[in-house]
Amino acid sequence: MDRRDFLATGAVSTAGMLFFPGNLLAKEAKTANQTRFAQPLPYTMDGEWKEFELYIDLHTHEPAPGFKYHTLAFNDMIPGPEIRVNSGDKVRVKFINKTDLNHTIHWHGIFVPWRMDGVPYVSQLPVMPKNEFIYEFVAEPEGTHFYHCHWGTLMHMQAGMFGSLIVENPKDPIKEKFPYEREYTLVYSSHDTNYIREEMNGMLERMKQRSYLMKQGRFTSEQWGVFDNKEQFLASMENGYQPPYVTNRRSNAELPQANWFTVNGKSYPSTPYLFIKSGENIRVRLINAGAETHHLHLHGHDFWMVADDGVPLEHPWKRNTVPLTPGKTFDIIIEGNNRGVWTFHDHDTRKVTNNGLYPGGNLLALVYEDLPADELIISKHSGNPMYNPNAGMGDMKEMDNQKMGNMNKMMFGDDKLPKIALDE
Amino acid sequence: MKKIIYIAILISGLANAQITPEFEIGAKGVFSGNLNFNSEESNAVTDFSDTQLLMGLSQKLYNNWRAQFVLGLQFPDANSNLGEVFYNNIFMKLEDQTNVIKVGRTLAQTNLNEFPTLRDDDAQQFVYALNPFSDGVNTERDQYANVLDYTHIFKQRFFVSIHGENFYDSLEPDDFRLNSMGLSLVYRVPESQRWNRNIVQQIGLSYNNYFTDRPGYSNDFDSSVKNLLFSTILNLKPDPIDFVDFKFQAIQNFGWDEITELNDYFDYTRTQSTSLFGTFRFLKQKLERPHYQISIGGGYKSLGNLSTNSDQLIFITNGFYRMGQNFDIGFQYRYTENEGFTQNLFGKNEHRFQLALVYSFSQIFNKQFGDREDLLNLEHNYIK
Repeated sequence: MDRRDFLATGAVSTAGMLFFPGNLLAKEAKTANQTRFAQPLPYTMDGEWKEFELYIDLHTHEPAPGFKYHTLAFNDMIPGPEIRVNSGDKVRVKFINKTDLNHTIHWHGIFVPWRMDGVPYVSQLPVMPKNEFIYEFVAEPEGTHFYHCHWGTLMHMQAGMFGSLIVENPKDPIKEKFPYEREYTLVYSSHDTNYIREEMNGMLERMKQRSYLMKQGRFTSEQWGVFDNKEQFLASMENGYQPPYVTNRRSNAELPQANWFTVNGKSYPSTPYLFIKSGENIRVRLINAGAETHHLHLHGHDFWMVADDGVPLEHPWKRNTVPLTPGKTFDIIIEGNNRGVWTFHDHDTRKVTNNGLYPGGNLLALVYEDLPADELIISKHSGNPMYNPNAGMGDMKEMDNQKMGNMNKMMFGDDKLPKIALDE
Repeated sequence: MKKIIYIAILISGLANAQITPEFEIGAKGVFSGNLNFNSEESNAVTDFSDTQLLMGLSQKLYNNWRAQFVLGLQFPDANSNLGEVFYNNIFMKLEDQTNVIKVGRTLAQTNLNEFPTLRDDDAQQFVYALNPFSDGVNTERDQYANVLDYTHIFKQRFFVSIHGENFYDSLEPDDFRLNSMGLSLVYRVPESQRWNRNIVQQIGLSYNNYFTDRPGYSNDFDSSVKNLLFSTILNLKPDPIDFVDFKFQAIQNFGWDEITELNDYFDYTRTQSTSLFGTFRFLKQKLERPHYQISIGGGYKSLGNLSTNSDQLIFITNGFYRMGQNFDIGFQYRYTENEGFTQNLFGKNEHRFQLALVYSFSQIFNKQFGDREDLLNLEHNYIK
């Protein structure tokens, strides 16, 4: 048996012990992958109103195996559950604040009545600890949108308070132009987990004190940092009050510098896969709920840009890289025309990191379900000189087949792709 | 040669890949003008003793424990016999959620309470179980020791600690052997939750056993000096704006019966005594920051086994006003009264007035993990 035969035999027998043709294409893998996407939030009908319930609570989140941090999460998940309605639906969302912090919900991109816009002290008062608020609006316009907390937005959003809001059009022009059966929502974000921890601790401590003073009727505008109008604010300053952005109040030494980059709350290797078949169109809804721009690039394909901020584009165009800026949504159509496993990632590779280490972050893959298992076997198609018995490798040329096989096994594991790499 | 270069590259590569630790800096500057009446101590234009600098480097270990290396220095009193600078903290700390191990020089558990005085040693003779090996030339040798300390924490608040020390021995300064052991049990509300806890903020007991060479006794236990401490902090008014607490500590020194007169400081620390000390403190906060603080306190020390009444009394009051972040201006008045042998040893009754500028700062840079006593770790899941 020569070395090539040995490797091939080894690959078949190893894979046979698992679910051939490999984890990624197995039914179990696809089932598990569904948990990497936000599931639609169930609703009940009250007359013509679709009623949803969102609560916010503290949560321990694990973006990648082994790394945990405290977050704020809608319905105990990051991102929050997907709200999916039809254009023109009457939507009622009961929002329950289970935390000791203030929150609101802003419906990003939705034409809500202004008192439902979720901006504290502009369109409503904050939803105080252990309180509720009912948001009501008509779902329009159609398209890909999202919701997020608008209180302490710098911290609360990156802590995890965001989720997708999809307004469907039964006569969707995009679907008519690019017929598709499957679609995926990818919500991007970036997180400074150290900033989140310090800010959450500080906020919790302050809010306990503030709630105590509120109950006693001893809480003032100056303590709160909230004034009825500019005159009141200036009058306070004349009496010696210094605004919190001057020197007398807490402040973080630096603005957040993200060290984790997530898609649907997860970082590589926990990021979702986009499954596709040859000849199939899939729609991918891209949402940036974070504060960094992501230059998303798909390998091996051009995709169709079909909607911008939820607005269908009259003349879709093709590209393979898109700058998803903060607050932006894009819809793209990927045509299954180049079978394989293709990465889809931020080309600002600083964001393809976990805690500073590459690879990680928002790296994910487009996976063809009809990929023959045979193509996953490294030794059958690789140009790697390790698999060429006549190639160099210096002293290793002297190794016999058995030893070479053992060494390959040690270095590369099973003879198949793709693998999980945590340190390049 | 090739091999050597390869190893050098490997080491340099690993060195470059080091995670920068959390870097903690603490600093305290105390500058006072001292005016003494009826005292043997001279007045001082600028007294900056107790000024100190502390640096800590912390990292997570591979097994979810954390380690910290601390280096601190202090500027002692001019006549302290400690030199210009005293390295008061040089220790390593290993900890996880429920265990803490300390090795090195740091504060010994001879005091369970921090009282609101201008300097740590302003009420030294009343609030510390004093080092019976020290000649009393300075106060640092009562506060700091080379320690080996293990603490286990039950339910976030119950601290059980067993510790051994090498206290500085003035007669045998090169002796670094264990000369003290002790055990303490403390209930303590975490810092972040103290402001709103009704009544009991802290309560604790500590037992210290100093292995002295008592003439006529061969058994280690019988020949030792034993101290029992009781300490408590009570929230009289737990309030985020007007906060009032009461701190109290009692120390019973089960000293040697045979010491009935004080010839030196060794006798003072080894004779039987009972110390009581307490302070009331009012802290005014404004916009979630300290605004000013007033405290008043006093103590009494009875040395009941002496042939002559030698009891001691202290009264201390002070006030601090925050001028800006970390900077305070303060005033302190202290009255001390000594009788009999203690008057011979420590001088007559003394009035001391001090006007002080104080700077205090503590900040952690490059923070990477939460503390055990963070609200998130206390009230939600602890993250290793």
